[in-house]
Amino acid sequence: MNTANRLAPYMFMAPAAVIMGLCLLYPLGYMIYGSFLDWNPSQSIGEADFVGFKNYINLFFDPAFRESLGVTLTFAVSVVIAELVIGVGLALLLDRNIRGMSLLRTLFILPMMIAPVVVGLMWRYMYHPTVGTFNRFLKSIGLEGVDWLGQNALLSVIIADIWQWTPFIFILSLAALQSLPRSALEAARIDGATNWQQIVYIKIPLMMPVLIVTALLRLIDAFKVLEVILVMTEGGPGLSTEIVALRISRTATEFRELGTAAAMSNYLLILLLLLTVAMFAFTRFQDARAARLARQVQEEG
Amino acid sequence: MLRSFKSAALGATAAIALATSAIAGPYDAYEGETLIVNFPAHPHFDAVMKILPEFTKETGIEVEVDQLPYLKMRERQTLELAQDEGEYDLIAYVVFSKADYVYANQLENLARYFMNPKLADPSYDADDLIDGYVYNIGFAGGNKGYLEGKTGSLYGIPYGSETSILGYRKDIFEKHGLEVPETYDEMLEIACKIPELEPGMGGLSSRAASGHHASHAFLLHLAPLGGRVFDDQWTPIVNNAAGVQAAEALKTIVDCGPEGAASFGFGEALGSFLNGDTAMFLDTTVVAGQINDPKKSQVVGKVGWAMHPMGVRRGSQTGGFGIGIPANAENKDAAFLLMQWLTSKKGDKLVALAGGNPSRFSTHADADVNAKFPHMATFGEALQHADPDWRPIIPVWGKINADLGTTLSKVLTEGLDVQTALDGVAERTKAVMEEAGYYTWQ
Repeated sequence: MNTANRLAPYMFMAPAAVIMGLCLLYPLGYMIYGSFLDWNPSQSIGEADFVGFKNYINLFFDPAFRESLGVTLTFAVSVVIAELVIGVGLALLLDRNIRGMSLLRTLFILPMMIAPVVVGLMWRYMYHPTVGTFNRFLKSIGLEGVDWLGQNALLSVIIADIWQWTPFIFILSLAALQSLPRSALEAARIDGATNWQQIVYIKIPLMMPVLIVTALLRLIDAFKVLEVILVMTEGGPGLSTEIVALRISRTATEFRELGTAAAMSNYLLILLLLLTVAMFAFTRFQDARAARLARQVQEEG
Repeated sequence: MLRSFKSAALGATAAIALATSAIAGPYDAYEGETLIVNFPAHPHFDAVMKILPEFTKETGIEVEVDQLPYLKMRERQTLELAQDEGEYDLIAYVVFSKADYVYANQLENLARYFMNPKLADPSYDADDLIDGYVYNIGFAGGNKGYLEGKTGSLYGIPYGSETSILGYRKDIFEKHGLEVPETYDEMLEIACKIPELEPGMGGLSSRAASGHHASHAFLLHLAPLGGRVFDDQWTPIVNNAAGVQAAEALKTIVDCGPEGAASFGFGEALGSFLNGDTAMFLDTTVVAGQINDPKKSQVVGKVGWAMHPMGVRRGSQTGGFGIGIPANAENKDAAFLLMQWLTSKKGDKLVALAGGNPSRFSTHADADVNAKFPHMATFGEALQHADPDWRPIIPVWGKINADLGTTLSKVLTEGLDVQTALDGVAERTKAVMEEAGYYTWQ
């Protein structure tokens, strides 16, 4: 009877665990196994030759892959920093009772809801050298047109991503701002803190845990962005906008090297895993710090 | 009495059966069957959709078409052809896929169908099919593995194939007294003269975007200028004098082209010509329909056609699609009948009149087709020089092509030196070829 009782929770968990194992671990294992093979899409996985770590080693010394990795890092870090600055700035500006705020908020998050392929197409046409919105505007005010998707491709892609994903940071920052303890802000105001001082010394430090998690989520997402860049530049000119996700896709479909594509995905997975671990470690560190402070306050009290 | 009646009746039945089988049409055995075919979303196959009801009416064979964007089509086929039993009876494939599918034993060799008297139509006239297209798209196992040769055989038939042609603005050329370019030197000279004569207008619109586009544009010039990607021993020679000349030609075209030309894919290059922003367009014949369509083009009636200019030789590109029967197809014989009907003289003319790309010399010379599409005669002439070896069709080409395209893009946008760029491509290509086993016999 006791044994049955002890086993009961595991029995209830079993179906979920089995499904999770099948749905999560099997494809992951398949990909990891595939990364050790010389495998083209016309072969079944059983027909492919086992090549050990060859794909990983080749990639490590492949200048094109390293360039892609560099582009990915530049892209991800730039967009996250820019989106954080603009998103938090907007949230600070709009954290007040304005009429029609809910409508404004919905409008702000619209870009996030648009399918990435559509975003890519839209920006590609707006960047068009002759008929695009930007160059037509620049020319109408007497300025020279800019070679957006040629000389400035990475910047153009970064701008499009900022446009689409700043609302994500904005909406989370606004929620964080609105849940800040009013008492701290009131106390600061009574003590004569200016608006700027309130932002720098109270609001931002209190929002920090949310901001860190948001930034990490965006960073993870930015590493995997594919469609917008694929539609806008196809990775060009040269390899200047070929981020790793795009290179993985091209390696699998154009080069027909599934093993190498799987190895590349695993490199990306390891990188993302490190970021995720860092995110969890940071939140745990924050919790521990908060608990320690609370204890100190209690002890002093 | 009864016995003799019975035997007479049996005899009569047998005679009727025999007579019926003697006059049975080639399609009777397949009447009522449904073929599932996979075609790309492409102007030629849009025209094919219009003529398929005619096939069903004539043969009683139903055709269900799964039409997909062509990159999606390739992905789907890669999955489908690897199954034991496939969904498709007939597929259209891009020329690149020939190497992959034949090498993986996924396409039927067509010999046994053309040998079968019940299936092969004696009036098919295979010699009328355009040579360059047949060897480029249908042939495998010949010289270099992908060309015409004594060891090769047929795995597909060109259908929706294309070659390159020069489109030019008749009005602009007449206005400035320009001659239609016959050679590369003339074409490049005019391309750079146009922006001076018509401010705001580009000389020639070309694909140039990183990857496949830039590589395609370069190879378009490489063959007529006397170059090749490999020599007969598979040594990369893309960096020789002809290669450098071809890359420089591409750079000149882009520099004298419309604004932003360095980032143009096929769509932008064509769009720029359709909008009247460029005076010339050197690319595939498939665009003729759009250029004459007032809904899509602002240059209707203003465009003249000429052969792809000559360098040291004539050499227009060969590309587009072919049709073949998957090895795992369910209704192979009926699929062959459809394939034969579509590519027959009759089918080819029907599809040409519906706006498709014909695959036969006779269709290009046909009076009805020429009356409807006057450019067809020039296209037919260009086809005499269609070069099946303008780019190699080998399994590792995808990787080499991508490297060539991204490196050329650096030449066009980042000012990388042409010789250095092509030397790098040759070196990396050699490594790819070595790994793929092309130097095993050296």
